[in-house]
Amino acid sequence: MDVYQEYQGFLKNEEVSPPLAAILSLTEMMERSNAGTMFELVKELKDGAESLNKHSPNPISLNAGCELFIEFITLFPHDSASFSDLKTELIKQGRDYVAEALTYRRRIAELALDFIKDDSVILTHSYSRVVMQTLLMAHKRKRISVYVTEARPRGLGIKTAEKLTAAGIPCTVILDSAVAYAIEKVDFILVGSEAVVESGGLINAVGSNQMAIIAKAANKPFYALAESFKFHRLFPLSQYDLPTHHPTLLSFPISQHRPAPPMMARPSVMPSRPGDESLTDDSVSPIKFTQEQIARNNPDVDFTRFVFIWRSTELLSRSP
Amino acid sequence: MASDPQAAANQRFVEGLASRLRRKQVVGSRATALETLLVLRQVVSKARFSNIDQLVEIIRSVGRRLVDAQPKEHSVGNTVRKVLHHIREEYHTATETTASSSTGKFSIAKFVRQGQPRNNPVPMKSEGKPTLRENDPDHPDSFARGLKPVLMEAIQDVFDELETVYDNISKNAKDHIHSDEIILTLGMSQTVEFFLKAAAHHRNYTAIVAETAPSYGGREMAQSLALAGISTFLVPDSSIYALMSRVNKVILGAHAILANGGMFATSGSLLAVTAARAYSTPVVVCAGQFKITPLWNLYHEHGALDFGDPSAVLGFDEGSLVDKVDVVNPFYDYVRPELVDAYITNDGDHPPSSIYRLIKESYDDEDIDL
Repeated sequence: MDVYQEYQGFLKNEEVSPPLAAILSLTEMMERSNAGTMFELVKELKDGAESLNKHSPNPISLNAGCELFIEFITLFPHDSASFSDLKTELIKQGRDYVAEALTYRRRIAELALDFIKDDSVILTHSYSRVVMQTLLMAHKRKRISVYVTEARPRGLGIKTAEKLTAAGIPCTVILDSAVAYAIEKVDFILVGSEAVVESGGLINAVGSNQMAIIAKAANKPFYALAESFKFHRLFPLSQYDLPTHHPTLLSFPISQHRPAPPMMARPSVMPSRPGDESLTDDSVSPIKFTQEQIARNNPDVDFTRFVFIWRSTELLSRSP
Repeated sequence: MASDPQAAANQRFVEGLASRLRRKQVVGSRATALETLLVLRQVVSKARFSNIDQLVEIIRSVGRRLVDAQPKEHSVGNTVRKVLHHIREEYHTATETTASSSTGKFSIAKFVRQGQPRNNPVPMKSEGKPTLRENDPDHPDSFARGLKPVLMEAIQDVFDELETVYDNISKNAKDHIHSDEIILTLGMSQTVEFFLKAAAHHRNYTAIVAETAPSYGGREMAQSLALAGISTFLVPDSSIYALMSRVNKVILGAHAILANGGMFATSGSLLAVTAARAYSTPVVVCAGQFKITPLWNLYHEHGALDFGDPSAVLGFDEGSLVDKVDVVNPFYDYVRPELVDAYITNDGDHPPSSIYRLIKESYDDEDIDL
């Protein structure tokens, strides 16, 4: 069976996040594999990880899981008598880890509780399972109210608001563009994470970066919650270094009267050439900007530099 | 347990220190740390336990008692945590059995935490070691008797660290203070005093000491530095900003360093540090590792500070005023991590952002809440 289908099957479980689903699908792969040596096995797993990476529209956190698992396997100290014993052991390790990792959100929620004082107003972004669990747990012991951004285009913030309201937490959806307006009412910002990178920066649903910048300007704490399997060996220096960036993001619409510009990694303003008649031609029908077209042109995740983050509450941190 | 005469003696010891802490007869982070350690040594040497959990629980209950007596002396709790950490370490090395190979324990969770496994050969020297048996029904004391010598050693290690803390901090003093620099400090901190004097052996520099009202610890400090032959100026607190343009470095002591890299320090420190920020003057804090506290002062709460005797601010001889105004004398300022450039500890120099790592290394997670 296709690794990617399997991966998506694991993701159907509400509790399982992409890195864990990736580890599970790699263990399944290992179970089916008839590799006779470590070298072959690692190669198969790497191919599997590669195919997961290729198929997934947003492979960042998935990659973190794959890398962790493959690195673990290559460094696993073994004294097993036979290779199949070793393989069984590794499969067991993978499954045990996932089982353990599912308890991490709870641990984080407990750790984060000390950061939430009574009567807090919290701003969160989009939908994050770890943030949800933290807020729901905090609600049991403290009075909290929550602003959540709508998080266009997927509108996941509405899901957050519905769930929180159902649990009895006062919650209001605000526009993504109203963060700066709302910030003064907010005690701190709490977001989840897609991945935490080597520089200490954060990769998360698009909009997190601007929230962090606004929080910094308003001198409000910005906290990110991350399970330790989300630590990723990546060192992005700008938004365009993320693996999710591709040339069509933020590209300019191509007018029929203007020759297509060469594909560029970095969007830049096209220099207008002298004598370009499209600039003066008013008869051209205006391009329609539909929601889908906007969504297609815009990123899913963005990168927040370390300086904007007040503190990540990590369950465990990997030694550098 | 209470009927046990030894336990009762322990109880008296603990209560003795608890009440002295409460009455502020023991103050200062190092003094309280030392006293705590003495009590713990006493308690451990007399304690009766037949497994490690009992011992840990005994120490923790002592710790809780002392911390409750004076919650603002953070080094009390830190010392207890440190001792517990050392005791667990000793216990693990003492009971390491030959059977356990490293593969059995290695897991992804551990890999995430610690990185690459170290290939340490399993020590096979256990024949010489007397086996420690926990919960032995026939000899309930045998475990304690076997373990106590190493426990005493562990406590002694913490003790030695406290004894040598000033020397270790001042070891690198000459790397931080250069010739002809002007250093500003305030308050009376023995750590800073040792540090500045150590630097004076190698460098010729000028110290400006703010007198630090209302305790006037700065006067004491200035006197001590001047006696050591350092060219010293004693200035009023109000002139700190005016002088800052000429200062090359601000060196301060701390009362407690918090997990986020911020600190509690003598009141006046925040003023000096904010002035330093305005002139981009580096701020360096000297403090022993025992001051590093697993605590977050997230909301800069007023109550997180400790308040002293207000008569130093407004004496009772000002009778006509006393009942018209509220007088407070806060001991400490909370200094945010962004305002500190470096911490110099007996464990090396660290930026505020890596303090939480030191906490992870020096204390066990389960002891954060005693």
